[in-house]
Amino acid sequence: MSITLDQNKMLIQMIKEFTANELAPLDMEIDQRGDYTDGLFQKVVDTGLLGMTLPREFGGAGFDYVATAQALEHMAAGNASMAVTLEGHFKTIEQFIKYGNKALNDAYLPSATKRIFAFSMTEPSGGSNPKGISTRAIKQGDNWVITGDKIMITNGGLAEVYCVLSKTEDDQLAVFVVDKDMPGFKFGKREDFIGLKGVPVGEVVLNHVVVPESHLLGVVGQGLEIGDNAHADARILMGAVLAGIMDHELATAVSYSKERKAMDTPLYQLQVTQEKIADIAIARENTRALYQKGATNKVANQPYDEIAAMAKSYGSRSAVLSGDKALQILGGYGYSHEYPVEHLIRDARAMELAEGTIEKMNVEITNAEIAK
Amino acid sequence: MKIVVGIKQVPETDSVKIDPKTNNLVRSGIQGIINPFDKNAIEAALQLRDQAGGEVILLSMGPDSYTTSLRDGMAMGADRAILVSSRAFGGADTLATGYTLAKAIEAIKDVDLVLFGRQSVDADTGQVGPIVAEFLDFPQVTFAETLSLESANTLVVERQLDSAVQDIKLTLPAVVTVRKELNTPRYETPSNIKESFDKPITTWTEKDLDLDPSMIGQAGSPTKVTKVYAPTKEVKKTTVLPDDPTQAVSELLGSLD
Repeated sequence: MSITLDQNKMLIQMIKEFTANELAPLDMEIDQRGDYTDGLFQKVVDTGLLGMTLPREFGGAGFDYVATAQALEHMAAGNASMAVTLEGHFKTIEQFIKYGNKALNDAYLPSATKRIFAFSMTEPSGGSNPKGISTRAIKQGDNWVITGDKIMITNGGLAEVYCVLSKTEDDQLAVFVVDKDMPGFKFGKREDFIGLKGVPVGEVVLNHVVVPESHLLGVVGQGLEIGDNAHADARILMGAVLAGIMDHELATAVSYSKERKAMDTPLYQLQVTQEKIADIAIARENTRALYQKGATNKVANQPYDEIAAMAKSYGSRSAVLSGDKALQILGGYGYSHEYPVEHLIRDARAMELAEGTIEKMNVEITNAEIAK
Repeated sequence: MKIVVGIKQVPETDSVKIDPKTNNLVRSGIQGIINPFDKNAIEAALQLRDQAGGEVILLSMGPDSYTTSLRDGMAMGADRAILVSSRAFGGADTLATGYTLAKAIEAIKDVDLVLFGRQSVDADTGQVGPIVAEFLDFPQVTFAETLSLESANTLVVERQLDSAVQDIKLTLPAVVTVRKELNTPRYETPSNIKESFDKPITTWTEKDLDLDPSMIGQAGSPTKVTKVYAPTKEVKKTTVLPDDPTQAVSELLGSLD
């Protein structure tokens, strides 16, 4: 076995252990209280999980996307919220690594082992449509002055560093790095979403925030490319999270179907149950295959936009439908807060919207197929 | 401070199987993990190192496959590892194992403290730590529940007994075996996992140690296992008597018939 495989195996093992001990037991409580429990996020930080993908030269572990995605699947099987919090952080770090200049990366990336980084595109006027961006970056001497309102940011409020998609004076798109400690930076409201209740999704208001030239990611005019790249990186990891959610749905349904009997026959022996369990298992494996291919392509520097869109589109729909099947197996208990299935459906539903809707995924997949 | 932690790789599963022909534990096909009590010993060593400086060296005896557990220990933060491994050590009982590990600790040189888990979860003897202490002629305390460094060469150990607590001062170098109540072992971290592959695992054979050949492996093992077997599980029926005393007595008497 290669050293990389050995290292990946150890990573998965430690994530499984951490998830089983620290996250899974709090899964229901996180959903019910609508936030992470006190001290939980700090445990994630103290265990070095924020630095999983960060290159070692910046103090991280430098695990690649194949290992990272697998790790997030296992974490999501215990608690999807924390896996999504890490997904938002990791996809943002990827943009620093790909587009960040040396001064910016040297100044910021070492802190990414302790501080969450976030990517903010959406504004009140629209989601993934860059033409509607109203956040402005005005050049003043050697600095940029940024003013705008960004909403529905994954980890908004928890994150301390934000990549902000903005328009320059000549209407070109550019991404700037903004720190929460900068004058003019303010947190807005936290969304009251129905699922992934641990993940803070919030607003950031920028009022004449001044950043130096080095805080420009890539170059002016590259904003759309960086945004698309961030989307694709996120979608691979979301595929992994969705496979994890289906794992959780499957485990719950299987366990219940072994215990519960209908006329002295365990549910799992009934064909009507078997059909549902098989469907969930197949959907999980398909989603796993999609996200792993996306991750493998990314690591091998092969195109991965389309496969990443497939992982998220197929995975999110499947996880919602699988949750529905699991709920049906559990009957009334599945419809109750006593079991996790109902919140898993709500969790999965978020990913039919976040990082581009399913409809947008399918447009991108179709365009990619037409272009072949 | 130079701290050696003796660790053993044990089967991951709780359902240890026994080969009916040899009466030995069947280890093939089961993934090995660090003996859970040994993780407490590693954690204690790391805390002492963080406090007093120095290094934590993991020591194990077994086949090459034991490097996975040594790697896990280094991913918790230990500095380096030594695996004592050779066919010549095969079939060692706790005496031969203790003797060989003691010789390895002598070869490491200038060791201040040797820590072990209280016992392994597969063989359950709890003997290796004390045997190592005897061969090294180090003072020893078993079943430690707290550990603290009072001075550069004095360790204070709290030892929980059935009806009393012993506070013991130990002059270093010493051997201590620890209970799980001592601490909560830290998790491996992603960075430490990567770093563990940069840290050395040195393998020593019988040629690297100053050993008496009659004291190692099968030859040095007086223990003869005559029979090892899984105990049969007997399920006893429990009856809850009714609240009404008359009825309860009646049922009780009935059950005595």
